[in-house]
Amino acid sequence: MAKPAVIVVGADKGGVGKTTVARTLLDYFTAHHLPTRAFDSESPKGTLKRFHPDVTEIVDVTLVPDQMKIFDTLASVEAQVTVIDVRAGMLSPTLRALRDIGFLEAVKKGQITFAVFHILGSSIASLNEIEDTAPFTTDARYFLVKNYVNNTSFFEWDQATHAAYFNKLKDAVEISIPKLNEMAYEQVELASVPFLTFVANKGPKGDPANYSFVLRGYVRHWLGNVWAEYDRIKLNDIIAAGAPVNNPRVQAARS
Amino acid sequence: MPQPAPVYIVASPRPRVGKTLLARLLIEFFRAGDRPLVAYDLNPRDPVLAGHFPRLVRPIDIADTRGQMMLFDQLIASQPVTRVIDLGYKSFDQFFAVMAEIGFAPEARRRTIEPVVLFVTESAASIVRAYANLRKLIPDATFVPVHNEAVSVTFDKEDYPPSRAECRMIRIPRLSPVVRGVIDRPSFSFGAYMVATAGGPTEVHQWIGTIFAEFRELELRLLMGKLSASLSRRSAPAWRGRGSF
Repeated sequence: MAKPAVIVVGADKGGVGKTTVARTLLDYFTAHHLPTRAFDSESPKGTLKRFHPDVTEIVDVTLVPDQMKIFDTLASVEAQVTVIDVRAGMLSPTLRALRDIGFLEAVKKGQITFAVFHILGSSIASLNEIEDTAPFTTDARYFLVKNYVNNTSFFEWDQATHAAYFNKLKDAVEISIPKLNEMAYEQVELASVPFLTFVANKGPKGDPANYSFVLRGYVRHWLGNVWAEYDRIKLNDIIAAGAPVNNPRVQAARS
Repeated sequence: MPQPAPVYIVASPRPRVGKTLLARLLIEFFRAGDRPLVAYDLNPRDPVLAGHFPRLVRPIDIADTRGQMMLFDQLIASQPVTRVIDLGYKSFDQFFAVMAEIGFAPEARRRTIEPVVLFVTESAASIVRAYANLRKLIPDATFVPVHNEAVSVTFDKEDYPPSRAECRMIRIPRLSPVVRGVIDRPSFSFGAYMVATAGGPTEVHQWIGTIFAEFRELELRLLMGKLSASLSRRSAPAWRGRGSF
């Protein structure tokens, strides 16, 4: 069996599009025919579960029974990839919990592929979070995600401050999620289906839908650009091969 | 083979080159043949075409997403209708950018809708570049250059190659200023003039006749192109179409 892979998607605060990124990841793995399951820690009502109900379970990753549900099953379930959408502000406690249960040790030994998608907000607080999470991610693939999906403006902070924080992560890679047309985004929200399903003009149960061709076109184009970012970081290779790959150095400080 | 439903897009990045006149002529040509027809005026501030044909032409502003949906969602609907778009120069960039981004042309072709860009030629280098860039941006559309002799006398035909060899340039002959004044009247109808005005051919008769003959030829060439493409597909051993979302 291929080495299991765990992807944690987190952010320091809500409203930065964390779940949107998790949704694009699930669509990406679906398109690459990689069996995937997801855990949504937005208890009791998970947004990720609303869009991907068939593969998503709602959990609290700081509770032992739920930790067992996720991590004790890594080697036994059919799904090769496990995506965990961590509730806003819970990224550091979650990583700490992963260390405590020995998960990070297994990553260090190469038994599990581990990636963190850290979704940045536009405030300086999101950079503080980098400092908190850095000690737990030395053996993980660490991705700093600037999410422009709702046109969030970044770098209100000056470049020197920005560089000072980003330099603390020597092996992080930056990803940009481009802006999506507002009306297209809204319509997918209303439809409550994966982006791929919306593009294919299907309803939640696979039934034919009647979404706007224009909005489907916008979503298809946007999703293609997001996936191009995942291809650029060779996400599929990282997950499918399950083998360590040389980490490119962070580019952010130079931008 | 299903009947092709062409979408004629009359375009130029410059104002006052005869786009609305060309759209009027097309509409009257198709109406004379009782063709099911819908037209769109993409000049939101000054919808002159809609003024000529208030019952037939829908003015649309594509600056926002709602307007884009109103237009492209209708264009992509599988109906055996001929569509004419008078694309105002202010909407030129956005129209083609949206068209490319949403993948309109390949999907249209899949539904036997044929986008045909009637591009009004000029000798200016910027317009030649715009034509070349547009062809790269929308490779699935058919490009037909249109030479309006009233706006450009000299230009190099090599600068405006049609996207298909059979779709050669359409020529709009120059009219004398007095006659031009007559056809610019809002109430003037080319079709009605051809039928109603007795007393032998006039300059306007000849002018309209020449242009309608060009349109007829273009239609035939488009149809021939479709037929030969269809035949070559049938004879190909293992044709694989590109999937669509």
